[in-house]
Amino acid sequence: MPVTVEIPKERWTGSIREVTLGATAEQGGTRAKTVTVGGETTLPFLHFEGEMPHTPIVGIEVQDSYPADWSPVLLAAWGDVLNDPAAWAKKAEEIGADVIMLKVRGADADGNATSPEQAAAVIQSVLQATGLPIIVRGPGQAELDNKLLVAVAEAAPGERLALGLCEDKNYRTIVAAALAHDHLVVASSPIDVNLAKQLNILISDMRLPLERVLMDPTTGALGYGIEYSYSVMERLRVAALTGDGMTQQPMVCFVGEESWRQKESRTAEGVPAEWGDIEKRGITWEIATATALLESGADIVVLRHPETVDVVHETISKLMAH
Amino acid sequence: MEETAKQPNHGAIVVFKPSGQVVEVQIGTLLSDAAVEAGLSLNLPCGGQGRCGRCRVKVEHGDVSHRSAARLTTAERQEGWALGCQAVIKGDAVIFVPEQEQVEIEFVTKTVGAERIALAADFKGEVDPSVRRAYVAITPPSLDDQTTDWDRLLRALSLEHGIREVGANLATLRDLARDLREAEWSVTAVLDMGDPERDTCARPRLIDLLPGDQTGRCYGVAIDIGTTSNVVYLVDLVRGKVIDRASAYSGQIQAGEDVISRIVFAQKRDGLNRLQKMVLKTLNGLLEELTSRNQIPASQISKAVVAGNTTMIQLFLALDPKTIREMPFIPTIGQPMAVTAEELGLAINPRATVDCLPVVGAYVGADITAGVLASGMHETDALTLFIDVGTNGEIVLGNRDWLITCACSAGPAFEGSGVRHGMRATAGAIEEVWIDARTYEPTYETIGNLPARGIAGSGMIGLLADMFITGIVDKAGKIARDLPTPRVRVGDHGGEYVVVWANQSGIGTDIVINEVDIENLLRTKGAIYAGFTVLVQSVGVELADVEQVFIAGAFGQYINIEKAIHIGLLPDMPWDRFHYLGNTSALGAFHSLVSRAMRHEVFEIAQKMTYLELSADNTFYDRFMSALFLPHTDITAFPSVMRLLKEREG
Repeated sequence: MPVTVEIPKERWTGSIREVTLGATAEQGGTRAKTVTVGGETTLPFLHFEGEMPHTPIVGIEVQDSYPADWSPVLLAAWGDVLNDPAAWAKKAEEIGADVIMLKVRGADADGNATSPEQAAAVIQSVLQATGLPIIVRGPGQAELDNKLLVAVAEAAPGERLALGLCEDKNYRTIVAAALAHDHLVVASSPIDVNLAKQLNILISDMRLPLERVLMDPTTGALGYGIEYSYSVMERLRVAALTGDGMTQQPMVCFVGEESWRQKESRTAEGVPAEWGDIEKRGITWEIATATALLESGADIVVLRHPETVDVVHETISKLMAH
Repeated sequence: MEETAKQPNHGAIVVFKPSGQVVEVQIGTLLSDAAVEAGLSLNLPCGGQGRCGRCRVKVEHGDVSHRSAARLTTAERQEGWALGCQAVIKGDAVIFVPEQEQVEIEFVTKTVGAERIALAADFKGEVDPSVRRAYVAITPPSLDDQTTDWDRLLRALSLEHGIREVGANLATLRDLARDLREAEWSVTAVLDMGDPERDTCARPRLIDLLPGDQTGRCYGVAIDIGTTSNVVYLVDLVRGKVIDRASAYSGQIQAGEDVISRIVFAQKRDGLNRLQKMVLKTLNGLLEELTSRNQIPASQISKAVVAGNTTMIQLFLALDPKTIREMPFIPTIGQPMAVTAEELGLAINPRATVDCLPVVGAYVGADITAGVLASGMHETDALTLFIDVGTNGEIVLGNRDWLITCACSAGPAFEGSGVRHGMRATAGAIEEVWIDARTYEPTYETIGNLPARGIAGSGMIGLLADMFITGIVDKAGKIARDLPTPRVRVGDHGGEYVVVWANQSGIGTDIVINEVDIENLLRTKGAIYAGFTVLVQSVGVELADVEQVFIAGAFGQYINIEKAIHIGLLPDMPWDRFHYLGNTSALGAFHSLVSRAMRHEVFEIAQKMTYLELSADNTFYDRFMSALFLPHTDITAFPSVMRLLKEREG
């Protein structure tokens, strides 16, 4: 006897804000196209229940100088372009990036500090090399970030870059730069619903429209706190969908950075044989992390390995098919 | 971990300067213990954990070793400074003890923003104390009537007053023959009738035998043992009135400023007994003050009822409070049995009963059960929130049908600790602050109108509220460094705001509040507010449903309601719902002293209260994080503050 099962549907009252990265020539920038994320009216990929108007996107990480500290797997995969951020960004676009994430390291491989002028020059060369929208991150130390990101913001007025990390310690400077030069910010808070929300309030108090704020909840990699990351992102998303206006930002997760950080993705020798091939292991780690975070609500995953990019794109398109 | 007795045969001579006391102690003795043996009082604000760095002494000669010198700079160590609670005596030594901070007895009187309910100092119900005086004119014995003295007294009490089955202790009996004859067989028996409702076997107990008819007067004391201050009410038990009251800072402050520090101190060598002696010394001093001022002999005080938080009650009884601090946080006893004043060393009639009111949990004590009794919330239909803000914020929610309670560890920021220029509400403390929104210039009031020495808890609330409303701090408590005023600057602990310039302060330096201070204040107010939200949520109501808020405790009455709402310490509701009750703990003790029915009610309140242990509640942390913001992460819960901020933005 056939049984009709009706899948229960949650009636959400809120939705995620739409945030557009990049600006074309008529919008005051130089990007070939813009990309919009957010707009969800349900939890990730629950197409039967609500809308997911924009496909989650993939960013590829590019650094302003040679990343000598990267896993040998990554160094081999990218080769020579690692010495030239413009060439690197161009290749990233060819491989299939939706956005470029440029990381200004703060110092080159020899330890020479990056000047604000150098940071400004790098963003200009990357802007010329690719037509994609760009997320720019500083070295991750509030003082240094302020110095370098302000220079980047000034050097690319109207481009609608997403500037990060914008944290509770330095949000005033970063938000002021975004307001002055028409950019977005990546609001970053240490994996806590309330802290994320508080930072959005502080940013919004400075009159930066929330349509120009991406949220980085600070996520861990597989084996390094991904369950907690998942849970906090899910709670943020549930709060947003239940109508909490200060949690309705699209989320960006720096997956590549996290999942290539630890021993499992870096070390080929002195580890148990059962761990298998280092290359396969590192890529799998990044794929697994990215997939889990997409399922918990990530709108942008920023990756490092070209092969991961292919697999994650394919995963997203399968999850979006309905 | 005590290091005594490692080398039991070696003594060391320690000379304390400037007093000149000399003491011989065993090598390995802690310097702070040696100071005690020398009869000196060395303040240990953190209870001897080596954390506060305020028990510093200078080693002028001799050798000590340091268990920890975390609070001293290298230069200070080289100069010979040591922490009294961490320095171990290794041989003969000369120690300089700096002048110890004295706690001054001075209380502020101002209240702002809410109506103060005048809780009557007179008891309105039926005066029915457990202590009773009965006059008997006894037929003297003769060769014909050979009844014993005791039976003769009992017979008279039974015939003339219907009082039967009276008991007495040996000391009373020893005086009996002489007392009766000296009074020529006309005596007033002072009896404690016990509480038949709580103890069905309760028998009247003879406390004292006074010559002649002295039934017209009868006295008792109601005692509130606070962590910071102790209060004694001298009560006329015949009329049910408070005759006089006296208060003083707790003598235990030198052994720690909060309950946790006291519990830590109690674990030290002889610590428990020392703490009990300290509280008795304070209370006996207050009793001495009251009895001499009112010319009532201490022996005429026939009963004491005691309220206080759980730790204070246990220290008063010398019950080791260790388990209060350790998971799963269990007090030794809920309703302590009655003891005599003699057993404790309380300076009233030695045979008088000392009755401690019941505690509910490790951090909800007899101060709260007594407070609920005094507030009457257990008899009202209105949903009532009762709060006692101190080092611990105790909260009770309920009405006549139910009561639920919790305690949140607020920390001592409002009492002056953990805030650079924080101080207790004593002379020279800033108690109110207003800031001009255009010039960022402050106006303030100090206690006693003296040059400012620091900021009291009420001043901190006012200061933080106005800094927030004027935009000097953002919602996260960070100071805006780009304001056009020299009062905002960057100091050792991030941004800071100068409240008082050095040339106007009473301490010779600028009085400032910095971002670290503000973080501590946010944690304190956040813990209290989170307690409210967890409590209302646990019974499925909203804060907005609360019909009245009773603010108890010594500090509570100095809270400016408006400013407390601005910083999110108190829930945003119409001001007329807030009522200051003052010291409800002492008041509850007083009511329990003059009325056996009230005494029974406290017992029932304690039985009825559900205790919610916040450390076992997984929503508390989330609520706490969300309260670490000005006024709160959920701004919609603070509509009046939202309106104010909108107006500010124009």
